[in-house]
Amino acid sequence: MQWRDFQKRQRITQIGERFISYVEAGEGDPVVLIHGIPTWGFLWHETIDALKENFRVLVPDLIGFGFSDKRDNFDRSIAAQAEILDQWLETLDVPSAHIVGQDIGGGVALRLATLFPDRVASLCVMNTVCYDSWPIELMLQFGHPEMYRKASASTTMKLLKQALKMGFESSPEDEFLEGLLAPYSTEAGKLSLIRNAAALNTNLTTEITHLLPEIEVPTRIIWGENDKFQLVKYGERLAKDIPGAELVRIADARHFLMIDKPAEVNGALKAFLAEAEKAQLTANA
Amino acid sequence: MIGKPKEVKEYEAEDEIQRVYHEIRQTLRVTGINLNFRTWADFDKFLPAMWDDFRPNAETRVFENVADEVRRRAVQLSGELPRTNALEGSEFGESRSWQIQRALDLYHYVNPKLLVLTSAVLASLKGEQNEGESDAMERIKKGEPPTMYAMELVDEKPKDKPLRKLFNDIKKTLSLSSINSDYRTLGLWPDYLQAAWQKLKPVCKSAAFENTADALREESRTLAHRLPYRLSLTRTTLVELGEDADKVIETTEKFEQILPPLILNIALLQLDWKSPEDLEKSPFPAATMKEKEAQYAMA
Repeated sequence: MQWRDFQKRQRITQIGERFISYVEAGEGDPVVLIHGIPTWGFLWHETIDALKENFRVLVPDLIGFGFSDKRDNFDRSIAAQAEILDQWLETLDVPSAHIVGQDIGGGVALRLATLFPDRVASLCVMNTVCYDSWPIELMLQFGHPEMYRKASASTTMKLLKQALKMGFESSPEDEFLEGLLAPYSTEAGKLSLIRNAAALNTNLTTEITHLLPEIEVPTRIIWGENDKFQLVKYGERLAKDIPGAELVRIADARHFLMIDKPAEVNGALKAFLAEAEKAQLTANA
Repeated sequence: MIGKPKEVKEYEAEDEIQRVYHEIRQTLRVTGINLNFRTWADFDKFLPAMWDDFRPNAETRVFENVADEVRRRAVQLSGELPRTNALEGSEFGESRSWQIQRALDLYHYVNPKLLVLTSAVLASLKGEQNEGESDAMERIKKGEPPTMYAMELVDEKPKDKPLRKLFNDIKKTLSLSSINSDYRTLGLWPDYLQAAWQKLKPVCKSAAFENTADALREESRTLAHRLPYRLSLTRTTLVELGEDADKVIETTEKFEQILPPLILNIALLQLDWKSPEDLEKSPFPAATMKEKEAQYAMA
């Protein structure tokens, strides 16, 4: 799929002074797919197709990311993102949803599961930030305010594209990588991404570490084993800390596992969601 | 077409230009720096001097009001031109359509301010004095309106070939030496800009459009005379600053030429989405400092 076609499918919700662009597809119990940095909802395009037959799939661009609000006057931390997603789901009249997150999207998902537990029917995190696994060096450097003045948007995108390639075991086409970075290819987009990087903060996962054992919803951790950005040891730790959580390792996959191994990842996710639905039915009965 | 000064982009701005860019965003209440200022910034002594001279006016209710008047007049005048109906037969998507409208609001708000500012500066450089309204020094609250769309610009020479061709056509048709911020923002949605330009182009080339743009320019010149603080910048000042006075004046004249058609084009495109009554109102009405203080007191 071309990124512009994906963008054309996006809907919009205003949350106070902010706005969120999102894709909605399919019918059924709601599943929310949350992207990380430096991507946007487009990352999930194959997963949407895999899930939409059985679920109402909701894929937001986090604020400051993709084609959501990119102004320079709000907090983009995962704490703020979790709060605004909670309000966004309220606006969409979604009392609870299966929450799936990758990278910092996983951090947002963990905060939703620990601090907004009623909003989460089940939890699936993929190569997520957690504990003190982040920010990675590249993003720490990128988030420095002087980055704005150091290079033009086009130069920055070239560098980011090279760095992004390290997140794949496969070799995605340039067109796809450019699509992932397209929202950040202007000066305003570049600045927004710098602000997003500046908002990465270890404390926002360490402060919820003690709450992980309190997560009660079905939880699955899916990890591309060869990830250099978020090491699988953190997935192992999460699986021990969250009651009933199971770790699914995806071989020959890195940070962007849903692109490296779409069939395996989407298969594992579908299997988990089916189990979670079944558990929910049993609990309700 | 005049020789092209080199634009100073926001991320490239340093020292005095950086200071002025910040003050422009805060005082004009806008989310980015328009082509006028980016171009004037190439005259690195002129821009700070001009801004420091004009800023007291920019902070007043009178300036906001006269810009509102230009906007209102532009909507009225554009109602007399053929409607563009750029949305006809096209589907741009929910989020994209919403964002296109917010982008149009941004320029519908800021362009009249730029025109009045340009008219005032040009008059001053040519030795004319504004009258001033000493009893109307009320200040507006500074700062970007919280819901104003980010001034996001695609590259002036985009990689996308059809978009680059479109920009060239716009530049040629409107005799622009650089593509304006407005079209670069609308270039975020190339299918929309393509559809819009296809409808705008014949209107822009008509004699009626030219006459309407002239009328709007005259309106701006008249209204600029009402600004409360007299400007002191003259050709002599430019020479003393070591600037090429002819080039500065020529550049400023060019902006006074291109802004009225731009304002009309934005109004015409806005009419596809909104009623004339809605468009005549400011999309981002400014609170005065007194009103703001009263709001804080009530809170």
